[in-house]
Amino acid sequence: MDLQKINVKFFMEKGSEIPLKDLIPIFHRWIQQDKLEGMLIDVAEYTHVHQGPGLLLIANEANYSLDEMGGKRGFLYNQKRVPEKSGEDHLRTAFRRILGACSLLEKEPEVAGKMKFAVNHLQVFVNNRLAAPRHSQSNEELEKSLKPLLGELYGDAKTLLIPERDPLKRTGLEIKVENLVSLETLLLKLKTN
Amino acid sequence: MSAETNNWKTLLQDKIPSDWAKEIDEFEAQILLNKQGKIEPRIFAETRLRRGAYGQRYDNGHRNDGIQIRKLNYPTKDTWKGPDTFWDAPGMLRIKFPWGGVTADQMDTLADLAEEYSDGIGHITTRQDFQLHFVHIEDAPDLMRRLAAVGITTREACGNSVRNVTACPVAGVCRTESFDVTPYSKAIFKFMLGHPDAQDFGRKFKIAFSGCAGEACGLVNMHDMGFVAKKIKVAGKEANGFDIWVGGGLGPVPYNAKLLFENHPAEELLPVTQAVARVYGRLGEKKIRGMARIKFLVAKLGIEEFRRLIVEERKVLPNDPRWTSLIEQYLGEVEKPAQKATSLKSSSYPKGFLEWKRTNAYQQPQYGYVTVYVKVPLGDLTSNQLRSLAGMARKYVKDTVRTSVEQNLLFRWVSESDLPAFFEELGTIGLAEGGANTISDITSCPGTDTCKLGISASRGLARELSQEMTAMMEHLPEEVRNLKIKVSGCPNSCGQHHISDLGFYGVSRKAGSYAVPHFQLVLGGQWKNNGGTYGLAVAAVPSKRIPETVQRLTDRFVKDRQKNESFQSFIARIGKVEIKNMLQDLMVIPSHDADPGLYSDWGDPREYTIADIGKGECAGEVVMPSEFSLTSAESKGFEAQVKLDQKDLKGSVGLAYESMIFSAEAVVRTRNREYVGNPDSTVGEFKKWFFDTGEFVKHVNNTQFAAFLFKAHENKLPNPTPDEARRRVEEAQLFLEAVHSYIANAPPPAAPIPGK
Repeated sequence: MDLQKINVKFFMEKGSEIPLKDLIPIFHRWIQQDKLEGMLIDVAEYTHVHQGPGLLLIANEANYSLDEMGGKRGFLYNQKRVPEKSGEDHLRTAFRRILGACSLLEKEPEVAGKMKFAVNHLQVFVNNRLAAPRHSQSNEELEKSLKPLLGELYGDAKTLLIPERDPLKRTGLEIKVENLVSLETLLLKLKTN
Repeated sequence: MSAETNNWKTLLQDKIPSDWAKEIDEFEAQILLNKQGKIEPRIFAETRLRRGAYGQRYDNGHRNDGIQIRKLNYPTKDTWKGPDTFWDAPGMLRIKFPWGGVTADQMDTLADLAEEYSDGIGHITTRQDFQLHFVHIEDAPDLMRRLAAVGITTREACGNSVRNVTACPVAGVCRTESFDVTPYSKAIFKFMLGHPDAQDFGRKFKIAFSGCAGEACGLVNMHDMGFVAKKIKVAGKEANGFDIWVGGGLGPVPYNAKLLFENHPAEELLPVTQAVARVYGRLGEKKIRGMARIKFLVAKLGIEEFRRLIVEERKVLPNDPRWTSLIEQYLGEVEKPAQKATSLKSSSYPKGFLEWKRTNAYQQPQYGYVTVYVKVPLGDLTSNQLRSLAGMARKYVKDTVRTSVEQNLLFRWVSESDLPAFFEELGTIGLAEGGANTISDITSCPGTDTCKLGISASRGLARELSQEMTAMMEHLPEEVRNLKIKVSGCPNSCGQHHISDLGFYGVSRKAGSYAVPHFQLVLGGQWKNNGGTYGLAVAAVPSKRIPETVQRLTDRFVKDRQKNESFQSFIARIGKVEIKNMLQDLMVIPSHDADPGLYSDWGDPREYTIADIGKGECAGEVVMPSEFSLTSAESKGFEAQVKLDQKDLKGSVGLAYESMIFSAEAVVRTRNREYVGNPDSTVGEFKKWFFDTGEFVKHVNNTQFAAFLFKAHENKLPNPTPDEARRRVEEAQLFLEAVHSYIANAPPPAAPIPGK
């Protein structure tokens, strides 16, 4: 499977009750200060929508959003355009970027101490039904592609991979890792390796 | 699977009609040629527009980030998809849903496409379309193929073409219709799509159908061409017929449609439409975009002459068998309910069910069936919601779902006994909110969220008002509950603000060296008679004070309403002067330091600006002479409206003209502070230094507004008709808005006007 248009969402452990509206200024500030990799364009608000994309930082290559799909808030990296590097690099890039954004957000003065991401609970899916059609083979391939990176990040911790069951939804996995690891440790591993 | 075969083109080749497949292939080839620089961006722009691929805000590579105008460094710097439109900039794809009909399979496909190519949202528009935002142009062909595979074309969704054919969403299940207009709207859509006689228009052409004259749903009055169903007598027998209307339209200056043919036989629908298309294509304006809609042609020729031309054209049209065969074909397609009709059994209902049913369930004339209005906040549905709704459609109603111009979804043919379960299923996806078609169900165009023309945050305001109204709903008196609010981000009326009880459109005002987002309050419009009465602007109020404005107006309505008085009659009775007095304090803008929140828009903390205006530019609180002129222009414009309300047509036209002269004077005074002149010299100076140089147009992005001034100066309308007077007053208001915009946008003059 050609791993294109990778989406990675880290769920929020603390701070889901913070109104998304209160976070809009942070996203605008990130644009002003070029805080994230890639070209950032605008902020889109969907707070009126039930369990939707929430608050989006629209970018050229991949959007970042405080996403509420499935009823669980998290920070989602949603790759829209296919970068030129290989599949595994896409994965690393996606993980590095979204974890970087999580770390940045946790430190913002408006939410510091009130928001925390569960870096051992995430979702990865392929936002391309052509590259990853819905069948068990796609799930297996995604799992295979992910395992080396998960091993690198979480070591030999017990990891639960739950494939998306709904045949209408995209190929994806929910991942729960048993041991606790810090966000900064994960980021360091992604930056140094 | 090899790369050659693993693509949507190959995978879907058996599911796409061959002519549609060919068109998409051609479009893909044009994308490639444009990227190679072999097609002029101007030509490619019209090509992609005709395929539904629209530009979006910031695609010119600039954005105000709240501190400065920031350059957006799109990766392919020298490639364009239109004049001043970067290739890489995400855009919008408009997807036509003729008569608003959407099937379960189509909803599933929309859900997939919204996730894979857009931002996870399918947006219902005010013309029964869906739109996807933030789409990249390279993705458009595959997106179109996947739509085509479920029977959707985006062809002619934008551009100078016949746009989506809309129809009353309860057609066929309506209690007041003469007959079901759906087959006729299908026939006209099919007939006009890509028709050779509809390829040379100067502007877009919108068609609408209504099943009756009294309700608003079809909005025929505000369309380029519209059909109102009517039973007529043909050779002594009852038959289906239509009143055919032409030349209506909203836009900055709304026009009421004129009756072209009364009691016209249904069989003549297609040839008459073809004749109108031919005459419009031949005689309609092509050069001045702002004057190119058919409404201007009808107004210029007069309806009698226009009718004569259509009759003549009809006589020479070569016969086309599709005129009747298409109608016969679609008359044969009959909607069938998924479930048997069974009445609602009285038992214990889910919490909130009865209140929801009161506003969101419409009793069909067919025994045991109701149409459910799914209230869709701001017209936005997530992919997951779309998929769930598709499942509900299959289970409860089959493919009878329709979108509405109020940005909702209608599930027709729900068996009454299924209603509680239906309500509960909606609840699981957050769509069981009551209040459909009430004051909490607010229509809004995209505004500054994504539209290039947006001035104020219409969606931000609509979101705020909707939340407030929903929270207050159970305490609101019935007469307030039933009011309509519609919001546009600019005067162009995509939010249909002219035809609601409380309409708003975005404008900006300058306060010292800052720009302040405002909305013009529009009162007097009516959501009845196919949108038959248009409201007029009353006062510009800072955006953040609109909720207070609504509160004051509705409170006053409740307090002073006479028995059974409509909101329109109430407004007319108390008068615009009194309304303006009621809101006067809200219109005063405090300093930036005193209330900085007023200087940003709803949902957008950036300091509001429509240009790169530096702080202190105008030396603090010193009042510029141009501002005195603007104040006079505002005052004359308002007096013109009052005269219009008093039916003093001549007086209103005279004052509207005076307002325009003061507006022009304000512009001239930006470069010559001491300027004093008469109307001739003011118009002359304006034309010479600001219009002919392109200076004015550059900063307001529209030639139409200045044309209003020149037209008024040339023709002072000594004996105006009511329509002419109303339009002149509207034009004065729009010219004034343009001048506000110019003064906020234009850089300080490099040099005064020579010789002054």
